Amino acid sequence: MSDSKRKGESPHALMHVLLVIAVLYSSYPILWVITVAFSGQQSLSFVDLPADPSLLDRLRAIIPWPSALSLANFRDVLGDQPFGLWLLNSVLVAAATMVLGVFLACTAAYAFSRFRFPGRRAGLMSFLVSQMFPGVLTLVPLYIIIVKWLGLGSTRTGLVLVYVTTAIPFCVWMLKGYFDTIPRELEESALIDGASPWMIFFRIVLPLAKPAVAVTALFSFMTGWNEFILAATFMDSEAMYTAPVGLKFFVGGFSQQWGYFAAGAIIVALPIVLLFLFLQKFLISGLTAGSVKG
Amino acid sequence: MKPAKPILILAFAALFGPVAAFAQKELVVWHAYRGGEKAAFEKVVAAWNAANPNVKVTTLAVPYDAYADKISAAVPRGKGPDVFIYAQDRLGGWIEAGNTIEPLDFFLDDATKGRFLPSTLQAMTYRGTIWGLPLNYKVLTLIYNKKLLTKPPATSGELVATAKKLTDPAAGRFGLVYWYSDFYVHSGLMNAFGGGAFDQDRQPTVNLPANVKSIELVLKWLNQDKFLPAEPSTALITALFNSGKAAMVWNGPWFLGEIAKDVDYGLALLPRIDEAGGTPMKPWATIEGAYIAAPSKNKDAAYDFIKFLTDTPQARVLALDGRQSPSNKAVYDDAAVKSDWILTHFRKQFEVAVPMPNIPEMSMFWSPATTAMNAIVKGSATPAAALSEAQDKVKKDVERLRKGSGG
Amino acid sequence: MRLAPWRPTAKRAALGLLLAALLGTSALEWAAGRAEKGLARQQAERQGAIAVRALADLVGAAGGTGEAVRGLAARFAATGLDSIRVIAFEGLSLEASTHPADTGDKAAPRRLAREEKDLYDQGQRLRAAVETNRQEGVARKEELEVTRLDSALALAAPVEIGGEIAGAVLARAPAEKPPRARSWVQALLLALVPVLLFLPLAWALGDRKWLSTAVAALLLVASLVWLGQRTLERLGEARRSSENEIAARVASVAELARGAAGELSLAGLPADPASWDGDRYRRPRGLVATDGTVDAAALAADLAAGRSRSLRYGTLAGALGLGLLAFVALGAAGRVGRTLKRHREAYLYTLPALLGMLFLVYFPFFYGITLSFTGATLYNEDKPLVEKWVGFENYQDILGDFSVVKTTEEGRSPNYENFYWTLGFTVVWTLTNVTWGVSIGLILALVLNTKGLFARPIYRVLLVLPWAVPNYITALVWKGMFHQQLGVVNQIVQMFGGTPISWFEQPFTSFLAIFATNGWLSFPFMMVISLGALQSIPGELYEAARVDGATKWQQFKAITLPSLKPALVPAIILSVIWTFNMFNIPYLTSAGEPAHATEILVTQAYKVAFEKYQHGYAAAYAVIIFLILLAYGTWQNRVTRATESIG
Repeated sequence: MSDSKRKGESPHALMHVLLVIAVLYSSYPILWVITVAFSGQQSLSFVDLPADPSLLDRLRAIIPWPSALSLANFRDVLGDQPFGLWLLNSVLVAAATMVLGVFLACTAAYAFSRFRFPGRRAGLMSFLVSQMFPGVLTLVPLYIIIVKWLGLGSTRTGLVLVYVTTAIPFCVWMLKGYFDTIPRELEESALIDGASPWMIFFRIVLPLAKPAVAVTALFSFMTGWNEFILAATFMDSEAMYTAPVGLKFFVGGFSQQWGYFAAGAIIVALPIVLLFLFLQKFLISGLTAGSVKG
Repeated sequence: MKPAKPILILAFAALFGPVAAFAQKELVVWHAYRGGEKAAFEKVVAAWNAANPNVKVTTLAVPYDAYADKISAAVPRGKGPDVFIYAQDRLGGWIEAGNTIEPLDFFLDDATKGRFLPSTLQAMTYRGTIWGLPLNYKVLTLIYNKKLLTKPPATSGELVATAKKLTDPAAGRFGLVYWYSDFYVHSGLMNAFGGGAFDQDRQPTVNLPANVKSIELVLKWLNQDKFLPAEPSTALITALFNSGKAAMVWNGPWFLGEIAKDVDYGLALLPRIDEAGGTPMKPWATIEGAYIAAPSKNKDAAYDFIKFLTDTPQARVLALDGRQSPSNKAVYDDAAVKSDWILTHFRKQFEVAVPMPNIPEMSMFWSPATTAMNAIVKGSATPAAALSEAQDKVKKDVERLRKGSGG
Repeated sequence: MRLAPWRPTAKRAALGLLLAALLGTSALEWAAGRAEKGLARQQAERQGAIAVRALADLVGAAGGTGEAVRGLAARFAATGLDSIRVIAFEGLSLEASTHPADTGDKAAPRRLAREEKDLYDQGQRLRAAVETNRQEGVARKEELEVTRLDSALALAAPVEIGGEIAGAVLARAPAEKPPRARSWVQALLLALVPVLLFLPLAWALGDRKWLSTAVAALLLVASLVWLGQRTLERLGEARRSSENEIAARVASVAELARGAAGELSLAGLPADPASWDGDRYRRPRGLVATDGTVDAAALAADLAAGRSRSLRYGTLAGALGLGLLAFVALGAAGRVGRTLKRHREAYLYTLPALLGMLFLVYFPFFYGITLSFTGATLYNEDKPLVEKWVGFENYQDILGDFSVVKTTEEGRSPNYENFYWTLGFTVVWTLTNVTWGVSIGLILALVLNTKGLFARPIYRVLLVLPWAVPNYITALVWKGMFHQQLGVVNQIVQMFGGTPISWFEQPFTSFLAIFATNGWLSFPFMMVISLGALQSIPGELYEAARVDGATKWQQFKAITLPSLKPALVPAIILSVIWTFNMFNIPYLTSAGEPAHATEILVTQAYKVAFEKYQHGYAAAYAVIIFLILLAYGTWQNRVTRATESIG
């Protein structure tokens, strides 16, 4: 508010320089992915130089731009396989992971933040500890639990269960940290007014924690969105595959069709970008001055 | 037999039969195909389903990167398919792990055995038992850009001369590009010199003098003749060949699908190696087999299906539509296959190839061998020293694996 | 009042003693029952195996086929074997059979039918097993197969002719009779004895908590030791009589075999009868002497070994019982119950999340820990874990190898595959990456948090892109960018007049390459976290600080950082854990080059499991990784007090 007025233009210019450099860093490799996707070819790009290259030639070579633009890769990716269906599966699985994960994490985190009870510290630590065992080695036991014991092979429920437990530890810690920063006075006054703990949680605490909820929502969605090995292992019908599984068909084994993979990767990344665009407004709508210290 | 009896039986079957006589069996088949290969495979499956209404085959494509783990997790627990298709490299491992693959010796008659190219059947054999029916093979060959070169080299001497002419590192042009730091690709040279990874008794032989010699030849090409690029990788090979900067590559049939449409390419046999007394390069061949899952409840039907799959008419479809090189011998006499220059070329190249060993110990060989190879081509170790270090490592790992806790 | 009976202390101690005695007694009874059952099983299996192996040896001596083989099968029915089948691989033939189904047109000799595939496959499996064990010089594949059927044992042994396995003998032997069910009433009564003894003492001791607990413990131990001794003696007796019966079996089968060999004019017995009593790898057990008597010295040694195993088990059961006793007697149980009740709301809130974790995270986790104490490899997957137990051997191999430097003909160089080198590299890798990710992420978040900055939403989206695109492809794009001749990075180096660098040739440059890749991948996450956390800072704080004349830097230090702490600290801890276990980037980008120098612990563990097929060893690696991270997590938590509430 008054901050920007007072500072004038020059610090903003500096900030823009910094941001532009950061954007270059963040998007340059992705521009190469886009280049490959639109090249209509299957090879990953390397620089292409004439003999005795001049500085200009080198400059041209490092700018990602396909020599010929073609939508062939996108057409093939979407036409060759039921990619649309797989995207839908991914959306269902990731959205369920997000909703369930955030809900469970919210209740747990609230208890960890607001109540004092024996085992509280151990409980929190146990969430942390669960992340410490290398995940690459747990495929077989997970298969035994989900497919053999619970009979949830080839179901979305099985996948969601695993993804939720993968996402929860981070979500709990993140939300607990954020709940800690929300002053208790608000809840205490509500309690005096006769509100139930659930009402306090939903009406007062949760709205104030929007930024953290947005972060955890994004995180749990991503957990379900990008996972590949478990989805490919648990599902026994092609109609149940998720998008990352479909994507992996293009590479692996002998053949590496990077053009298809790049096109698919861009398609897969788009929903994430859209979700981020949507969540942005919550991400920056935290505690507003005045609502706290009433 | 009196004629009345069968009629009676038929009438009986018509009354009570729908469940008993025509009970439909279902076979599930897993594979890792995509694109044209998948379409051809599904065409063959459709043909089976049309001809065998009481045994319905359904397929599942699994991405290659998850395929082996999925089989290892699902099949021994009885949750897998009835039939699955995989290359021979994992065969030994799954047999040793147990309850994964069903032996076929008992089913196999001589006529069926005689249907296959002998070395493809050899790839399906482990400890004297045949475990799968070979479906197709993949073998490395020489692929060249017709615009850059008209007559591909037949010997290593010619190769050096041609490749040197076509190389200009400053402009990123190379006469020959292949993944020389990878032992699978190097196997062609190694076997030409009479080297190998394991001996008959399954003891590692990484540091054989022949192996050393074969790598010294690569070093000569790299450092003296200088027609090879640095840091080869599959991505680099595709990129260079597609942009017309690699005159020749050594690669397999899978590469043909990655070549850009505007590149006019030709195929030639891998050269004979003068340094090894004129022996042709003998690359390791990868052979895909169809296996019956050990826990399957329909093994007889499954065997009938894989027998059908490897029969000549099906091999023809898989060859022409799926672009596979079938292990079936007779299909190469088919007119359409005969006139297909790519299929006939790979058939010829396969003559000199040797099946890659299917023993699980091979898995212990790759990483040390590749590390040694990388150190050698980067110049940080001599071939003899690096290979003997690799030999020690492989030996140690193999011993550890076998020791386990059997006693 | 001081001596008044049934103080709460005495009650608790008595209850604790009762529960502990019940636990200890039933554990001992259970183990004894199991041991008896195992002994009976073992005896039935050995008695069957002796006959089957004798028959297999004679069939081999008779040439594997022909009338003599059928004569042998018929005669061996007298040993109690039934459904004897002898198969020869040559011509897939069933040479002899006493199986009830094999009569009439199905009588032997004949070719095996298609539904008899399993018989043939079993024979071939035995052949492969013998060949494998011979070639590798170890005993890892069973050369004698025993399958348990409902009321019989199905046995199979290979037929050896001139060193080659040419067929197999398959037969059924009677299974053991189910041992007499153990009386649970008796066990209960035994558990009551120490309690009854304790009651008068408790009355005398009065309200002294520690003393009465100690007395109860003493009584518990005494009763368990007495019970254990008694059980051991009983079991030893059973074992001796079992061995006698087996020795008698060897003698009687040898007798029958000699007779049969004579009648069928074979050249005597092909092998020492004592060798028929062997394990599943056909190795003689050495408990029966050649003359068909028990080798007393060998049996005594075997019993002693069994005794020390039992002792260990008994100690464990006793310790558990003592733990339970202390838990109840010292009042902890009651406290736990009351706590659960008082804080039920909090537990209810956290339960669903914890339950899911328990099932899906901790089970695989304990599976891994168990596996790490075994020598499990691809080659012994079918054996139960107990048989593969190696204790701390895997850990010793990993942690006890200090050869960080190796000496070759070309001089000394770092041994990159050594655990400590990899650990060192992993620590450097984690520290640099997290530092980089957090600083860049935080700086960008601070900049993006500037109110009124132009095009903020666009920057935000563009900066989050590395997180959104699947890292499988971006990791390889980065690898391509670092290619020596054709990579973008070296082109830029050359534009500024440098010479191209071979990035993956030296450990340091290779590290830089994967660091650049992972740093790129990790900062958007930290940026998003920091953006969210920055919202929790009330604007008035800055306002007030400015009024007090604080500089920007002072404001940052005094307001921004402390407010970020609750969200940022957990993010950093988790980020350390994730980076430590980051698999894709080192695996795909540098692939460990050069010579495994840029391998981190988790890629190393992966290779041990999936390339070297040593599952137990890999699990030990994973457990070590876990312990390192656990130590870190505990330390970090203590320093930052992250589990404490700050608000």
